Amino acid sequence: MRRALYIHIPFCLRRCTYCDFNTYVGLLPLRAAYVEALEREAVLWAERSPELQVATLYFGGGTPSLLSPDSVARLVNVARVRFALPADAEVTLEANPGTVAEQQLRALRQAGVNRLSLGVQSSHREELALLGRIHSWAEAVSAVAAARRAGFANLSLDLIFGLPGQSLSRWMETMERVLELEPEHLSLYALKLEPDTPLARRVAAGELPAPDPDLAADMYARAGELLQDAGFWQYEISNWARGRAPAPEIWAVPPAGQSEQISAWVAQHNLIYWRNTSWLGWGAGAYSWFQGRRWSNPAHPRAYIAAVKSGELQRVAEECIPSALEMGETLMMGLRLAEGVTTHRFRARFGLELSTQYGDALSHFVKLGLLSWDAERLRLTRAGRLLGNQVFAAFLP
Amino acid sequence: MDPQHIRNFSIIAHIDHGKSTLADRLLGLTGTVAARDMEAHSQVLDAMELEQERGVTIKASAVQMHWQAPDGEEYELNLIDTPGHVDFGYEVSRALAACEGAVLVVDATQGIEAQTLANLYLALEHDLEIIPVVNKIDLPTAQPEEIKLELAALLGGSLDEVVLVSAKEGTNVEAVLRAIVARVPPPSVPTGTDTPLRALIFDSHYDSYKGVIAYVRLQEGEVDGQTPLLMMATGTKTLPVEVGVFAPEMKPVRVLSGGEVGYVATGLKSVREARVGDTITSARNPAVQPLVGYQPAKPMVFASFYPAEADDFADLRDALEKLQLNDAALTFEPESSEALQFGFRCGFLGLFHMVIAQERLEREYAQDLIITAPSVAYELLLVNGEVREIHRPSDLPEPTLTVEVREPWMEVQVITPNDYLGAVMEIFRRKRGELLLTETLDTKRVLLTFEVPLAEMVVDLHDKLKSATRGYASMDYTFDGYRADDLVKVDILITGTPVDALALIVHRDLAYERGSALIRKMKEAIPRQLFEVPIQAAVGGKIVARVNVKALRKDVLSKCYGGDVSRKRKLLEKQKAGKKRMKMLGNVVIPQEAFLAALRLD
Ligand SMILES: Nc1nc2c(ncn2[C@@H]2O[C@H](COP(=O)(O)OP(=O)(O)OP(=O)(O)O)[C@@H](O)[C@H]2O)c(=O)[nH]1
Ligand code: SF4
Ligand SMILES: [Mg+2]
Repeated sequence: MRRALYIHIPFCLRRCTYCDFNTYVGLLPLRAAYVEALEREAVLWAERSPELQVATLYFGGGTPSLLSPDSVARLVNVARVRFALPADAEVTLEANPGTVAEQQLRALRQAGVNRLSLGVQSSHREELALLGRIHSWAEAVSAVAAARRAGFANLSLDLIFGLPGQSLSRWMETMERVLELEPEHLSLYALKLEPDTPLARRVAAGELPAPDPDLAADMYARAGELLQDAGFWQYEISNWARGRAPAPEIWAVPPAGQSEQISAWVAQHNLIYWRNTSWLGWGAGAYSWFQGRRWSNPAHPRAYIAAVKSGELQRVAEECIPSALEMGETLMMGLRLAEGVTTHRFRARFGLELSTQYGDALSHFVKLGLLSWDAERLRLTRAGRLLGNQVFAAFLP
Repeated sequence: MDPQHIRNFSIIAHIDHGKSTLADRLLGLTGTVAARDMEAHSQVLDAMELEQERGVTIKASAVQMHWQAPDGEEYELNLIDTPGHVDFGYEVSRALAACEGAVLVVDATQGIEAQTLANLYLALEHDLEIIPVVNKIDLPTAQPEEIKLELAALLGGSLDEVVLVSAKEGTNVEAVLRAIVARVPPPSVPTGTDTPLRALIFDSHYDSYKGVIAYVRLQEGEVDGQTPLLMMATGTKTLPVEVGVFAPEMKPVRVLSGGEVGYVATGLKSVREARVGDTITSARNPAVQPLVGYQPAKPMVFASFYPAEADDFADLRDALEKLQLNDAALTFEPESSEALQFGFRCGFLGLFHMVIAQERLEREYAQDLIITAPSVAYELLLVNGEVREIHRPSDLPEPTLTVEVREPWMEVQVITPNDYLGAVMEIFRRKRGELLLTETLDTKRVLLTFEVPLAEMVVDLHDKLKSATRGYASMDYTFDGYRADDLVKVDILITGTPVDALALIVHRDLAYERGSALIRKMKEAIPRQLFEVPIQAAVGGKIVARVNVKALRKDVLSKCYGGDVSRKRKLLEKQKAGKKRMKMLGNVVIPQEAFLAALRLD
């Protein structure tokens, strides 16, 4: 089994107002030591599990585009040499449009990155300001152009909707403009107010209107229609890839020995998450899901660096996932996908039938119109996509 | 112990005037509790976790102290600390029946308040010797001399009898002990060695090893751990596990004798066999007459307690029975509701009593409860001439079947500074109250007597009064009688079906206002579901108001990648656990708060 490899880059120039990710402002001087620590972590993994092979590589953050292309190249190389990352494997890097010059993008492409995920978020000045983003829409546009010139054929753009005070038409304007950039992939995220973020505090203080969940539902629906017309395939609750949905048989029973790749522009790395297969996470606060256990590294970069140096990378919040829980998590993740959870994969993995395991819940949600269930697979319906939590919870032990 | 050297007394006061703190000092002074344990926490006798957290005494608690008086003699002092809150008046009255004296504590910054009077009158009914104590004289705003005058006037005694103390700082506390020894009469115990045992059970609790622990005051005779006993009212015989005193923990002793206060660990496992108010006697040499027991408490406020999981019904019954041992004012009877299935209709002396009972069931007995909004008892005069009492609004029959619907009215005494007179009157006016009497207490304060329907009082009268008077007013109340009025039932319908547990009875003039306020509150409490949920209020079968809980459209996390699995799963697990405290009505999920929405109308 090939696994996904995630590398976390916990540095940002400024914290966005909605952000509660594990990222830090003002720690750029740690970069060199941090990259060194990542390389050491690679060695620790390789020593422990020499047979380990990875299928995809993803630099997430934080702001991975704050790394020098040289550092990125070293890390990609480690993955290739020590973990057999295939030459044509998907290698993604998240980039902030405010931090990329064409020169750098060329160097990243050279370093082996072949997919860029740009945090565009909005096309409106006032919305970008509200979110505390460090870039303008114009910079996002030129970042896309620069990426194309640098040779990136696979571009993904992130957008946020459901902002306080955002109107449906304002949101659709952003959607239209973004489509003009002709990305291969889009992620649309409904804003979630995270506790203790400046944005949440302003809403709580009554300075800003609370986001309206019904309006957000409308935005989601309208954006979905637009994207469908524009030739995108919604393959996950928040993710769209250019191209048509593949014929269902491909997911249902892939012929033995064939790759399970389902579409050129689908995020192969994230697909491994949603199929709940197995992944390694390197870097501060990164989670690994490996041999029945899930844990995270120490969250703070300093703690992480120190831990790696000591040669003993202690696991934070380690959980042993018993089979019943793994099944529940597999459904919680898998139902996010348009392909859903296929009977054959579930059977192959757990030696059990979905129908015997979850019969009552299945028929309950089918009756409510949130799930569709045929002999091949279990999926959220269109109505179910926005109500996933109601469904997922039922499958957790 | 020679009865001449025994003194039995309670400490009584208005809430928060410092009873338990004074008890601490007495425990310290007599060496009953080591100084080091005293420092660890204050209000030692408030042993219950809830009491410590809330800083309020809920249970009367007894403790035995030994003190060498200045005359060189050693005395056994049995102290019973009592709660001050109105809802626990029944605790106080039972404690007083075990005593010959009462220390009446008055806060030097507050003066005489409503429960000062109420508890004083209770003590006088029991013919107790009163030791007046002015407390908190250390506070800068204390007015010890004025209050001393007030107290002396109230008791018709001399100024010298009033003891001024600071319980907190321990100032002059020994004078309290001296006054108790000098003025509280010793228990009168008939002489003669073979007088049969008579011991009054004034409280109890359940211990899983020793069975029912009866707290007793021995009138006469002796009890040891070896002689079989008889519970006179129930006829149950038992060989006790041990007898002992509270020091303040339970401490076994060889024998308790006439005039003393202590406990008998009865070994009885069935909580019905040793009731508060019963008399314990010797099985071999039984007494002829039991002691005068207690009037059972008459609950005024009723609410339904349902197990969150229907399977836990028997468990809840067991918990209620055990709690009742330690809360003699609690009543309960099984009931069923279409909406909530099987539970208990419980009676309480007031809303605070209800909240405490609920919390104790949850903490001490690990019960998960769904509780309905409290209501009062109504008396019906039916067309067939029958008079019937109902304890829940949904039992109110069709208007054509009743001649009169009567509700309980209370007489309420309020002491308030003159400045807040207007505000107090306004609160009572809005609660359908009527002012009966205004008396001047002193230059700054008046004593107002109102009559008000209990149903209007239950919800928030006390809170309203406290906030309108910045905490200065105090109140006490007693049952006055039932009065007929134009009372109607408001039904609450969820998706078109009336929900019995949500019905309420109100005055016709207020029916629309209360009904629509209630459904608005319910709307806030009911989470959005997969379909729209209409909530309606109906009077006499006619819908008068309607709101809709809109269908849920969006409930999913946008972002869920590898690093989010644990967090996201825990979120869902929490969501799922939250649903446990909810009830399904048809396919609508109703959370606990919605059942209590009636308490939050404004
Ligand atoms: N300054 C000062 N505070 C005191 C004194 N005595 C008690 N207090 C404080 O008054 C508050 C109430 O004291 P308690 O002893 O709990 O009063 P209580 O009468 O037992 O209250 P309930 O049992 O709830 O009716 C506490 O915060 C005490 O610390 C005193 O002499 N001086
Ligand atoms: S760039 Fe991304 S990780 Fe950095 S602060 Fe903004 S939202 Fe957070
Ligand atoms: Mg107290």
